[in-house]
Amino acid sequence: MSTDRREASAVDGPVVDARDLHLSFGPTPALRGAALAVARGEIVAVMGPSGSGKTTLLHCLAGILVPDEGEVWLAGRRIDRLSETARSALRRERFGFVFQTGQLVPELTAEENVALPLLLAGVRREQAVADAGGWFDRLGLDGLQRRRSGELSGGQAQRVALARGLVTRPEVLFADEPTGSLDSLAGEQVMNLLTDSARAAGTTVVLVTHDARVAAYADREVMVRDGRVTTAERVPR
Amino acid sequence: MIRLGLRFSLAGGKEAAVRLAVTAVAVALGVGLLLLTLACVSALHSQDRRVAWLETSTHNRRPNVDEATTDPLWGAVNLDQFGSRVIDRVDVAATGPHSPIPPGISRLPGPGQYFASPALVRLLHSTPADELANRYPGRLIGTIGDQALASPDSLTIIVGHAVADLAHTPGAAEVRSIETDPQGSSVFIHHPGRLQLILAVVAGALLFPVLIFITTATRLAAAQREQRFAAMRLVGASPRQIAVIAAVEAMLAAAAGVVGGFVLFVLLRPVMARVPFTGQSFFPADLALTPVDVAAVAVGVPVVAAAAAMVALRRVSITPLGVVRRVSAAAPRAWRVVPLLSGLCELGYFAVVGRPSTTSKQIEAYGVGFVLVMVGLLIAGPWLTMVGARLAARRANRPSELLAGRRLADNPRAAFRSVSGLILALFVTTAAWGIITTVVGYHNASTGGAEGQRLMAEDFVDHPLHALTSTTVGQLAAIRGVTGVVIAHISPTAPGGPGMGPPDGLVSCADLGEIPALGHCQPGADTASLPWISGAGISTNSSQLGAKHLRPAAAYSPTQVESLPVRSIYIETDGSSAAIERVRTALERLLPRDRGYVGPPSTISEISPDAQQQLIGYQRLAAVAIIASIPIAACSLAVSVAAGLTDRKRPFSLLRLAGTPLRVLRQVVALEAAVPLLLVSALSVGAGFVAADLFLHAQLSESLRPPGGAYVAAITTALVLSLGIIAATLPLLQRMTGPEVARNE
Repeated sequence: MSTDRREASAVDGPVVDARDLHLSFGPTPALRGAALAVARGEIVAVMGPSGSGKTTLLHCLAGILVPDEGEVWLAGRRIDRLSETARSALRRERFGFVFQTGQLVPELTAEENVALPLLLAGVRREQAVADAGGWFDRLGLDGLQRRRSGELSGGQAQRVALARGLVTRPEVLFADEPTGSLDSLAGEQVMNLLTDSARAAGTTVVLVTHDARVAAYADREVMVRDGRVTTAERVPR
Repeated sequence: MIRLGLRFSLAGGKEAAVRLAVTAVAVALGVGLLLLTLACVSALHSQDRRVAWLETSTHNRRPNVDEATTDPLWGAVNLDQFGSRVIDRVDVAATGPHSPIPPGISRLPGPGQYFASPALVRLLHSTPADELANRYPGRLIGTIGDQALASPDSLTIIVGHAVADLAHTPGAAEVRSIETDPQGSSVFIHHPGRLQLILAVVAGALLFPVLIFITTATRLAAAQREQRFAAMRLVGASPRQIAVIAAVEAMLAAAAGVVGGFVLFVLLRPVMARVPFTGQSFFPADLALTPVDVAAVAVGVPVVAAAAAMVALRRVSITPLGVVRRVSAAAPRAWRVVPLLSGLCELGYFAVVGRPSTTSKQIEAYGVGFVLVMVGLLIAGPWLTMVGARLAARRANRPSELLAGRRLADNPRAAFRSVSGLILALFVTTAAWGIITTVVGYHNASTGGAEGQRLMAEDFVDHPLHALTSTTVGQLAAIRGVTGVVIAHISPTAPGGPGMGPPDGLVSCADLGEIPALGHCQPGADTASLPWISGAGISTNSSQLGAKHLRPAAAYSPTQVESLPVRSIYIETDGSSAAIERVRTALERLLPRDRGYVGPPSTISEISPDAQQQLIGYQRLAAVAIIASIPIAACSLAVSVAAGLTDRKRPFSLLRLAGTPLRVLRQVVALEAAVPLLLVSALSVGAGFVAADLFLHAQLSESLRPPGGAYVAAITTALVLSLGIIAATLPLLQRMTGPEVARNE
């Protein structure tokens, strides 16, 4: 991991760079020449109507899906040709994820859910739980460490998921509709915590949303329509 | 609502169709096994009906003909033996043209003729005549039909005689009809092989895991169903309406499964018939279902499935805002080990104070102990699973151990339920195997060991043989493989009679020297007194076997001894099975039955044919329990693993997308299934050994002997097969956790 990071820091230019991506699900094209470059530490909101291809684009950028055509680069290294195992390792070690719902393992406590990526990285349990515990105070979750997902509100569960996404201090955090199942107040809380934490750690964020209020937290918005990134504009913060 | 439920199941898209098909297949497997079990019990009754004629007596409960119109028939039924196989030998002599004819033959054999069962005909053809065929006077005139045989493997022979010969044979009786009631009691013999009780116990033990399997199968994909029901509640469906839809869905899948189960039964029946569950295979037609069986399964399984679905819904309250699960189901408590410990303590009590005085009290005492242990294992299982899982989760350092431990600790009942069938089978197998191994070892040690395996004994205690010529003795001594013959005569002064046991015998020292295993004479003595040493594993007197024994001198000359009636003939062989069968065959020819020979002789170590049959029965019980439980438990495990995967499809998929290696998720699934399996297997094997040891201490004052390789092989096969089935579900994980699950709905 450390070698990759040194390599990454040695490379100038975008940390995530997608070029001319094409991907079809059977006869249905999802991406038709999508391209997106994200600078290190930048927060980019990917917007677009339902079915436009924004989640598919995020999955390609994160190495979850492999495009039929085109290239995906991470810090100067092409990742779309890597094996599934190598891409899994990449996701585990250099990326963080926050999804809309259902990402917490119901049998584990909140603390164990946050510690899970560290355990997967081989950190000893005591250390992993201690590191995870630090995020509870930071994200306003103090006292909820022992609760399970069923005992948390939607906003609390999403903050736990955010802590889990950030606990390994990833280079890039991919967030897919992170506030999609929350009310506006809880959504605002989550977005404030997400952007503040990411900026504090210098983490790049790719945020998929259809909500303009959520997109407003980003440094830049891009629009996906019919599988293409059609507009890209920097928004004032 | 019923219509809506049907629509959900039948026209609910690909996913609903797959769910229906998978559940139906699982139920079909369970129903197939259930029907085969019921058919086995039914087949035993059929076997009994077929051999009811062997119970013929002078007062038949259900005669086959009007006794007033028939001529009497002389008959005698005896057990013969070839190796470890039992031969039913029926000797008959008709007194007139209207004598009753046993089933399976068209006419009675005349003197010098016999009918034999097909299996015996094959054996007669494949065995040298001096080892078997020469036992039966005359010639084969036909085969006995299936209707008179318990099994295609039955060895049965009907031998014809002249009335004058058979009428003087001990044990022969004059009858006017043939018994057709399987409950009849024979004056000839008590026919062995009554295994209904054993099979009824096995059937009862199998019903439980089969029903668990069926209810587990109908709850496949419970999480998805609950989400759908929550959506329906949102649009106004009442809890009652939801319950009706759930019941309809479950019943539909179960009904399809029942149809599949009947098809499976028909396909598997010929295969099952060939498996010798009771020591003998079945006629395929005997593996039949009664109308009650058919009705009970056809109606009962869908009803049980519907009830299970409704009970499952009661465990989660489905609200219009989604599925609100009880976050932590009430954890099993420690009291659950009380019945298990009580059972072991009860058996331990009798191990300390000794066995109860009567057989019925012994059955009661041990029965209660074993049932308590079996029920106790089922009750204690979830608690032990939870304790083990909590310990594992607390100490877990790897994510897979943590995830599996927490899951098991969260719902230990579900985890244990899927392996409970195998647990019972392992307990029954271990206890039965341990007891049988020890009893056989005890028997061998107390019946003369290697010497006992070579020495044969034929007793004439009830009907002493008054004349045995030196020619006959010489013929016996000349048999290939025979190394010595000793004749023991009845001592005129030895006490005997009812309650006294057989009297001591007298032997000439010249004879005794031929078989050193019978002991040796005092120096200078011509005759000696020899205690009763019997064959067929009657061990109380067999402890007298061995060259070390010095026989007391008798106050008779050798000539006087030889003029006394014969009590026993001892024949020492080279121990080969051919020599033993040659002796049995020769005795049958040389000592006609009307002179008191009741045959067949046994070696000292051999178990009597009826005891042998009983032992085979118990061994089969253990084998049936383990063989039948493996597929049931393995299917339950597979369904349980698949259901667990379906329930956690989304969190597992998202973990995988976030980079969790598939290997870790596979380990989670494998641990969740394998840990309870191995943990509780170890417990039931341990409980089986402890229960067997306590029983043996109480009943025989013996310690448990370790069971042999066959036991280890059976248990290992069971576990490896179960682990293999768990492994077979793992590819599901890859398919179920694809990126499409991560898409927001």
